[in-house]
Amino acid sequence: MFPSLRRDIGFPVIGSLVMFAVLFGGGMIYQTILGNGSAERLVTTMLIDAIIVIGIQIYIGNTGILSFGHIGFGAVAGYAFAVFAISPAEKLKRIPMAPFGLSDIQVDPAIAIVIAVLITLVFAFVVGIGLARSGAQSGSVAATVITLALLFVSHEVAKSWPELTGGNRGGISFAIGESLQSRWPVLVALFGALLVARLYGQSRSGRLAIAAREDNLAARAMGVNPIVQQMVALLLSVVIVSIGSALRVWQIGSILPDRFFFDYAMLTLVMLIVGGRNSVSGAVLGVGVMTAARELARRLGQDGFEAFGVGLDEAPLDWIFRENLNSIVLGVAMVAFMIWRPKGILEDWEFDRWLYEKFGRGNETKPERLSELETIPNAEFSASGISVSFGGFNALTEAGIKARGGEIVGIIGPNGAGKTTFVNVITGMVQPTAGEFSIGTADLTGKQSFELSRSGLVRTFQNLRLFGALTVRENVEISALVAQEHRSDRVLRDTDALIAEAGLWDHRDRRARELDYGNSRRLELARAAAMAPSFMLLDEPTSGMSDSESITMIEQVRHMAATVGAGVIVIDHDLGFITGISDRIYVFDQGQVIAQGTPAEVQANEIVQAAYLGTAAH
Amino acid sequence: MTGLLQNLIDGLGRGSIYALLALGVAVVFGIMHMLNFAHGELITIPGYLTYWAFNNGWTWWTVIPLIIISAVLSSLLIERVAFSRVRGATDFTMLLTSFGVHFIVSAGFLLYVSASVKPIPRPGWFANTVSVGSLNIEVFDLVVIGVTAVVLAGTTWLLQRTMFGLSLRAAASDFDTARLMGVKSDSVIRGAFALSGFLAGIAGVFWIMREGQVTPTAGINPMLQGVLAVLIGGLGSLRGAVLGGLVLGLAEVLLRSWLPLGIQNLTTGFVFLMIALLFIFRPGGLLSVPQVERV
Repeated sequence: MFPSLRRDIGFPVIGSLVMFAVLFGGGMIYQTILGNGSAERLVTTMLIDAIIVIGIQIYIGNTGILSFGHIGFGAVAGYAFAVFAISPAEKLKRIPMAPFGLSDIQVDPAIAIVIAVLITLVFAFVVGIGLARSGAQSGSVAATVITLALLFVSHEVAKSWPELTGGNRGGISFAIGESLQSRWPVLVALFGALLVARLYGQSRSGRLAIAAREDNLAARAMGVNPIVQQMVALLLSVVIVSIGSALRVWQIGSILPDRFFFDYAMLTLVMLIVGGRNSVSGAVLGVGVMTAARELARRLGQDGFEAFGVGLDEAPLDWIFRENLNSIVLGVAMVAFMIWRPKGILEDWEFDRWLYEKFGRGNETKPERLSELETIPNAEFSASGISVSFGGFNALTEAGIKARGGEIVGIIGPNGAGKTTFVNVITGMVQPTAGEFSIGTADLTGKQSFELSRSGLVRTFQNLRLFGALTVRENVEISALVAQEHRSDRVLRDTDALIAEAGLWDHRDRRARELDYGNSRRLELARAAAMAPSFMLLDEPTSGMSDSESITMIEQVRHMAATVGAGVIVIDHDLGFITGISDRIYVFDQGQVIAQGTPAEVQANEIVQAAYLGTAAH
Repeated sequence: MTGLLQNLIDGLGRGSIYALLALGVAVVFGIMHMLNFAHGELITIPGYLTYWAFNNGWTWWTVIPLIIISAVLSSLLIERVAFSRVRGATDFTMLLTSFGVHFIVSAGFLLYVSASVKPIPRPGWFANTVSVGSLNIEVFDLVVIGVTAVVLAGTTWLLQRTMFGLSLRAAASDFDTARLMGVKSDSVIRGAFALSGFLAGIAGVFWIMREGQVTPTAGINPMLQGVLAVLIGGLGSLRGAVLGGLVLGLAEVLLRSWLPLGIQNLTTGFVFLMIALLFIFRPGGLLSVPQVERV
């Protein structure tokens, strides 16, 4: 269960330490071999880049939203840091007219970093609200353009507000006595960034954000509010990026608008993409690989470059190896990776998780079987008078159903009967023009889908919607995390035991996208059950199944529902399945409930036969 | 009153160029669901050819077709080399691919041509104005508005009345169904890129004339304006793209004239702020296209 001290805290700490040691150690080796000042600067730059890239990874990796704007946030932080840390004497030369009385202020660089972080956080919060309004979710195009616009605004303001920023030419020369002399601040920040990024990835918020990244709709159906998790990820990532950016200004010793613009946004993004944006290990690897590649390209581009006594000057290919070669390397790397390996070198692989799988887990025994729960007698789902019209077309007219706790209620009807519209209404995806629905005394009409599932109405999807990159266990744990917070009045079953009950114990550590169809269905069932629902709403659970599979499914649905003490509302067009599983059945036709009763009653009903079998009723 | 009218014409002239760029972005977005961050390169590449042509004694009469043709060819080439390989990939992948292409092109010019600004002579009539009453209208604005109107009318005809336009619109609304109905995906995608390149070429002629120079990063601003205009108008709507371009141009010019002198150079910042407000109150843009979530 969550959080597991070893898996979610112990191993991430060890992993962060190892990644830190590898990056820093690699840098030190390079620096010692070359033993000159420029190599030392290169290594420091790499370490600072790593901080910023890890910061960006927290947002892009966990939410799946492509952001160019983090370098814009970096600009805000960089300028804030510079303005607060420079001595008044120096400011008199650079920005004598600084607004807000800033020209007389000077604070210690450490405090200036804190101020820079706080100021940037305010901006990030506002931008975060805008992103949420734009409907940001994984791969969202509008959100990406907003972040791109942010990058341009920060650049534009930096250029055209010389009173504060020193403008485009002068910049702010960072003479606070010295520029960054010691590497200690960088090392501390880098280790901190690694630790924060990994702990966040394993945390409750991080896991929920990743679930929303994998499938926004399914995450909401499991009670996750993606907007909140995206905001958490954004603020956390902006803190790290701000610290990195302030250190970057400190190290370079000056700041210019172009230092935090397109080129740097591109560099940091390529580093992240090449290594693998979904993992912190990937971000670290990308920083290393791209720093090396760019340094190599830069040296190849220099005149007089020789390796092993062979020079490139005057060689046939010398026209390729020119100055600025390192800039084109970025573009080529980006396009090449997008075409051939869009998820980067490491994809989802994470060092400390691998370490845990290998050494940390120990032997696991299959959990004991779970007993079935008493149903809650007063739980009643009731929908009444639900009408929906699209334009002039009435998809539903005064439809309503009731289901008691522990009961299995089937909804059936031919194509176009309004079943899907009904499901969409009670899952919060379509707002009804009239009518209401509730569980017990809680009115649920007009609630969003994540609120509905928190209230106890949890659904599955007709076309499977699992969190593909997560393991079976992690899929079920997402629901359990939400249930811990919002369903604590219910009996919460152990997730491993639920996985075993669903017959998935042997597959518990496989990624959901690797499962076959039947197992995927069972996982959806287990995931819904882990929410401790009052009612499970199954949308065509047998679609794509053979008759014999459908029959096994009946038993599984009954068993899972009983294990968590939930009622079931099941929609299907398969008459055999519905009559086999249901205690009572509602028959929909042309947007209305035309019949209800026990399976036997419904099957004997002439109106139903007419509607369903197509024989003339009159 | 006169001042306002003057600004309106000025803004329409500016907005017309944005509208052409935005429409090109929207056509490609419609068919591939890719926001093309490399769209501005369809101005950078012809820009350098223009610079080369003038150094070899060409005149505007021959340069204009050169710009348009090279924009179309660049668009097709980029599609062939890069975008055709990520067709149907995730939005994330396509966004970064186009961003990478932008970077390769601009870095290429930086690497193999020069980092410095290359001047391009403006046509003789560029600075001319005509007086209508108390109005002084720039001939350039009139030409831009007139040409844009003709091009937009032609594009509308192409999209509404020809078989190509029909397949393009069908593919834009539902690519898989369109393919099942016999629309050839390859040719319709190439057609979309050719159209996008043509529109960028027309816009490029005016952009290059107005800037009077070309640099390796010349494509960034036209790309950003085009992409923003698409978003202002409503992602997925061709009409919205045109509207968004015009609105963006007008907003820039009007803001510049209304803002007090001290903060006039922050105009771009204020334009972005207004766009941000628009998104907050109307997340789908001016002509928002309903997004259907499929379950």
